[in-house]
Amino acid sequence: MSGTGARENVFPTRMALTNTKLRLKGAQTGHSLLAKKRDALTTRFRAILRKVDEAKRKMGRVMQLASFSLAEVTYATGDISYLVQEQAKSASFKVKAKQENVSGVVLPAFEVDRVPGTDFNLTGLGRGGQQVLRSKETYAKAVETLVELASLQTAFTILDEVIRATNRRVNAIEHVVIPKLDNTIKYIISELDEMDREEFFRLKKVQGKKKRDAEAAEAKKRALGEQEEKKLVDDDVGGGGGGDLLSSKDEDVIF
Amino acid sequence: MEALFFNVSTGFLEGIVRGYKAGILTQSHYNNLTQCETLEDFRMQLSSTDYGNFLANEPLPISTSTIADKATQLLVDQFHFLRSNAVEPLSTFLDYMTYSYMIDNVVLLITGTLHERDTHELLERCHPLGVFDTMPALCVATNVEELYQSVLVETPLAPYFRDCLSASDLDDLNIEIIRNTLHKAYLEDFHRFCTTLGSPTSEIMHRILAFEADRRTINITINSFGTELSKEQRAKLFPTIGRLFPEGNNAFAKADEIEQVRQACDHISEYKAFFDIAPSARANGGAQVDDLGGDGAAAQLEDRFFSTEVHLNKLAFMQQFQYATFYSYIKLKEQEIRSITWIAECIAQNARDRIQDFIPIF
Amino acid sequence: MSTSSSSAKDRNLLAVIGDEDSITGLLLAGIGHINEQQKKNFLVVDAKTQISSIESAFQEFTERKDIAILLINQHIAEKIRPTVDKYQQAFPALLEIPSKDHPYDPSKDSVLKRVQKLFGD
Repeated sequence: MSGTGARENVFPTRMALTNTKLRLKGAQTGHSLLAKKRDALTTRFRAILRKVDEAKRKMGRVMQLASFSLAEVTYATGDISYLVQEQAKSASFKVKAKQENVSGVVLPAFEVDRVPGTDFNLTGLGRGGQQVLRSKETYAKAVETLVELASLQTAFTILDEVIRATNRRVNAIEHVVIPKLDNTIKYIISELDEMDREEFFRLKKVQGKKKRDAEAAEAKKRALGEQEEKKLVDDDVGGGGGGDLLSSKDEDVIF
Repeated sequence: MEALFFNVSTGFLEGIVRGYKAGILTQSHYNNLTQCETLEDFRMQLSSTDYGNFLANEPLPISTSTIADKATQLLVDQFHFLRSNAVEPLSTFLDYMTYSYMIDNVVLLITGTLHERDTHELLERCHPLGVFDTMPALCVATNVEELYQSVLVETPLAPYFRDCLSASDLDDLNIEIIRNTLHKAYLEDFHRFCTTLGSPTSEIMHRILAFEADRRTINITINSFGTELSKEQRAKLFPTIGRLFPEGNNAFAKADEIEQVRQACDHISEYKAFFDIAPSARANGGAQVDDLGGDGAAAQLEDRFFSTEVHLNKLAFMQQFQYATFYSYIKLKEQEIRSITWIAECIAQNARDRIQDFIPIF
Repeated sequence: MSTSSSSAKDRNLLAVIGDEDSITGLLLAGIGHINEQQKKNFLVVDAKTQISSIESAFQEFTERKDIAILLINQHIAEKIRPTVDKYQQAFPALLEIPSKDHPYDPSKDSVLKRVQKLFGD
């Protein structure tokens, strides 16, 4: 039998065959759609990948600049880290999530949302305030780069996940669903063929039997007819055949 | 008269300080230091100077802050040695020097207290020169009044605090105002004290303190542009000594932009020069500061202040039999620590183009 | 995915785990936030900080619903590398940043490692 692979548990009927064929068609369409989606996502993914790589390297430089500006502050004002930590109250540098749609995948992107805060404005009032201000700006710029990188990275993570899922689906359809449906169809067809052949054979058998029966009946009929004729001949002969008539049992009593 | 008896009580210490002074790094030391590739080399170079093996027991990798801390510790040790050997009036003079660190420590503790932070952690961060006995008790206070009554009245800072008792609630703005009010009061008081010491100490110290006061005034003015500090509040923070006082201070109090500050400084040739050189320096150093525009000039200004401070302090060494030598030594040493830290920072962060931006002393 | 993107709107803070200098700088930029429960969005790590407290801060920040981006110094991430490598969520986005004393090393970054792997094959 052809149903050696996995197949669905259906009755091999014409109805089931039609249904399964429809489903196979659906699966194939789905497969090509998903493959297209995957390709689109992968293109996007590659682009993001490259950007992530670039941005990460850029971040290295930006952060270096920023920490250097802090060194300038330390040079001019002394250690302000504690003051700064203590004065932190509420964030003036926030991010806003916005969404972008790539082939049906929602990619979040962060946007810098800066409220002009007055924090630390007076830090270093007596000395080094300008350095503090500069360092503040440098760091704000650095954080902007970081935010940018973070959106890229989030997109990267999500896309990665989605691509994996899509890949799984594509592969599942390609290697499991479609073969299964194929097998089912083959099974149904072969099963139907088998049934056809059986039916044919049965019909043949019935026909043969009928023929034989008909022949037998014919033969009997013929035999009877011959007897009748004989009898007639006997009757025609008459005379000495009287005893014969008694001895010979007449089957056809109806007559 | 002063000079006659000076050596009786202070001759020994003056000798010590002049000896210490020989340990201040020279240009050739700095040249060697700036050639270092790593902090490891840096430590090697430093060990051949007066700093000796002060970093020998530090685990690798050395951070720049460790270097700064250790160097400060050396300075503090020297200072304590001087202080414990000093007699009046030098001892009071040295005490006065610690007050400015005390002010910073007090302010730091107040800030920490406001935010309910761990006291011990805070105490560790206080500048060692400004430590006083009742400092831990500061952490219990919740407003200036209480602070003053319970703790500060015992400290030498008490008179300075009288001015800012009006600031009833302690928020971050007020703290910064308090800090600057204290510094102002401190400078004025130190100035007064120096007058009592007579010439030549008073002469030299007045010059240094006047510069200090002017620097403060200019900085406060520039830094308060665009902040919520009102002009009246600003005017109150200006020390009433210095060469810019009083008409310069009045002009500063009204200033809205750096140009007005420049005009106010015009009649004092040295200060005028700070602003004059700034634009050309900005053109040279434009690569680093181009995107920050006008801030560049102000940052240059800070550097000029530093180098002038060094210059004034160096001059103080020129004269014998006076106390300003001690003050200058500590200040120069502080500048040296800043320079060392700067070089170390440049090495650590691979910013070789800025490594020459320190201020050498000799 | 849908659940994480819907919650992304409430996330607007940045959090940091880093050494003193990094934190100071980032706070100067204005990211510092202390909420009603006096919880900070930053953790200063120094030589004395226990690994376990870094771990727990990491857990806390990754579980908080208002944090969009978590910044961590690379050399600190190095200390809790297994946890960091295991972290795969999209939110909050985890970002390893260089610190003053430890220049950035792309080969250690858990995300870049994945990038490189993907580029490699």
